Amino acid sequence: MNRIGKYAASDRMSDLVCDDFHVLLVMSRFGISLGFGDRSVEEVCREAGVDTPTFLAVVNMMFEEEETCNCGEISLEAFLGYLHNSHDYFLQYRLPEIRRKLEMAVGSGTGEVAGAVLRFFDEYAGEVDRHMLYEEQTVFPYVRRLLSGETVQGYDIGTFRRRHDQIEARLTELKNILIKYYPCEADRAKEMNGVLFDIFLCESELASHNDLENRLFVPAVAAVERKLNDRS
Amino acid sequence: MSTPLKILLVEPSLILRSGMCSVLRRLTTFEMQVAEVPDPERLDEAVAREDPDIVIVNPSVVDEETVHRLRCRSVRVMALQNALIEDRLQQSFDAVVSIYDTAERIKETLQTLARPQRDDAAQEPLSAREKEIIVGVVKGLTNKQIADELFISTHTVITHRRNIAAKLQIHSPAGLTIYAIVNKLVELNDVRHTIQQK
Repeated sequence: MNRIGKYAASDRMSDLVCDDFHVLLVMSRFGISLGFGDRSVEEVCREAGVDTPTFLAVVNMMFEEEETCNCGEISLEAFLGYLHNSHDYFLQYRLPEIRRKLEMAVGSGTGEVAGAVLRFFDEYAGEVDRHMLYEEQTVFPYVRRLLSGETVQGYDIGTFRRRHDQIEARLTELKNILIKYYPCEADRAKEMNGVLFDIFLCESELASHNDLENRLFVPAVAAVERKLNDRS
Repeated sequence: MSTPLKILLVEPSLILRSGMCSVLRRLTTFEMQVAEVPDPERLDEAVAREDPDIVIVNPSVVDEETVHRLRCRSVRVMALQNALIEDRLQQSFDAVVSIYDTAERIKETLQTLARPQRDDAAQEPLSAREKEIIVGVVKGLTNKQIADELFISTHTVITHRRNIAAKLQIHSPAGLTIYAIVNKLVELNDVRHTIQQK
């Protein structure tokens, strides 16, 4: 990232994307489509029915190493939608896509190493699935109840924060195994490179997704909890 | 797994700080985490929070006493020098680099400072005993079963497993299975049941 300082609502959307193509991921998760010409972030967001401060908070937090966020500005409802779409992206698209490419690189079912590699990946995908399902089934409903003004006993976002582990560690391990120990056949090198590129990207996407939950989602929910507690 | 070197960079100037940061990021010999502290007044607070291995500091914002206090906490202190400094202050640091130094020179200096903590386990080959342990893990045996089979204590098995993880950077049984098959530590028949069980 070459830019210093935060992105603002008046910046051109196309500039954001060209500065860092990862913005594309954020856009599609908010449901913003391409083809926005020279319109500003605010205009594009308004047309797509997206809350601009939340969009900017996510973009700025993902791409700036800024520690603090102004959680008061973001719409948790919009953010929940964003997180849900991110989970969908990983579970329905990203991981199955890597699985498919991995199969092409190691050859499905031929040889015992291929079987062990695919089994490793499937175990890992299962882990990510459980991690995200917990958020979908336990954390998000909890936050929705808070948003409807309910005080909820017996759970708080601190509990989630404490048990919220990083999920990319095992993917890093798979990457290391493929790079350091896997005897890749020369005629499969292109496929292997392809899947490794994807694993590198996915690893950083997962880390950044988790980081966003820890630095933006958790503080924003904690702020709502405090507000409700003060009132009661 | 080798733990990253934790560096705290104390420099009020944004330009010097970002410059140093970008040099540090490019020194890929080290795995490191760099935390930036723009305000020298918050040095103590940052040291308490980050628990750094090395503090890199602009010598004009600290005095001998501060450097001494840091070194007493077994933090190594490196000066990032951009002007002449007094000899006595200069000598109080573990090392000094200048803003005119090359990346190579900065790397060497950091290496000397980091050496006591460097983890060379990764370079060592596996011992015969460690290979036996891997075979046990891959066959799906528990630590207790491996211990009984090799006539050693469970505690020893755990220590071996930790060393294996450090050497190979593989922590899971599924990962060790791949390693074992690739390196022909096991026969396919030994692991068929673990591969196929879902």
